[in-house]
Amino acid sequence: MNPLKITLACAVLAGTSGVAHAKPIAFAHGTTMMAEYGGGTMNEAQVFYAPKYFLSVGGGYLELESDIDGRRREIAYARANYLVKRWNLASAQANVFTWGGAGQAYLSETNAHEFAWNAGAQVDYETRRVYASLKTDLHRGADFSNRIDTLQLGIAPYEHDFDTLATWFVVQGRQYTGGIHDGTEWALLLRLFKRGAWIEAGATTEGKLQAMAMVNF
Amino acid sequence: MKKQLYAYLAAALAAGAAHADTIEMKVYGLVCGFCAQGIDKTLRRNPATADVFVSLENQLVAVATVPGKDIADADLRKALTDSGYDVKAITRTQRSLDDVRASARKKQ
Repeated sequence: MNPLKITLACAVLAGTSGVAHAKPIAFAHGTTMMAEYGGGTMNEAQVFYAPKYFLSVGGGYLELESDIDGRRREIAYARANYLVKRWNLASAQANVFTWGGAGQAYLSETNAHEFAWNAGAQVDYETRRVYASLKTDLHRGADFSNRIDTLQLGIAPYEHDFDTLATWFVVQGRQYTGGIHDGTEWALLLRLFKRGAWIEAGATTEGKLQAMAMVNF
Repeated sequence: MKKQLYAYLAAALAAGAAHADTIEMKVYGLVCGFCAQGIDKTLRRNPATADVFVSLENQLVAVATVPGKDIADADLRKALTDSGYDVKAITRTQRSLDDVRASARKKQ
């Protein structure tokens, strides 16, 4: 069993799986914009609008580039996100999200575009000091299948409040299927957010940049 | 004429008292400032809202209302639900929002 699978199993057993802060649905009538640079292996940009607190719709663009054989995917998709369940506790929150969508993918191997669909889910648990998240995101077409599984475990050195800067140290483990990356890609991130602006940056254990920016409005 | 003057004074006093009204809500799930943006935005859309204060530490959302106006409990609950949270209790006080703010910060 590889390290990510062990960690995922521990997180599920502990009941602390999920992507705490980065949620695909912000709030009713809110818009979320996100851009991520993932160690040269994955780049993604998304925009979602939520007509309801439990539903958001929008789209995204995902680039995958294999560090094994150089194969590339360029996937543009429309997607709907749905909040399956939320637990609002006195000092914690947990969520289960799911999503699905469709679009078009470019495959470098065939130098052609094809129809692609997308499905995924996310579970998260967070307090003001700790969080854990687990996300799985599948993109598939007639000639390809790529799934990205991401685990994040975070700890905050202090408890932020609504108007103060939040600081988090995050360990991220990510696995790709479909020949994008062998093994687990680990990264250490510094995450900062205040009000509706969020930025995080760090590096993978291979020394590659990992960064993300997000705004809610 | 005197009656009109008394009525005017009474209305002015009532408006003054209403100005001090603050609605305080105990809210569960308040753990992330980034995620709680919706509370501030949703409540400020209500024309009866003068100001909003959110304290994660105190699990508190407080709303100062425009003089002479109130926000129904159902509207408050809907605003918080739309923001993704659950309201556990709603109380109306004569404290100003600044007092609520100061008191919340003292507890931290």
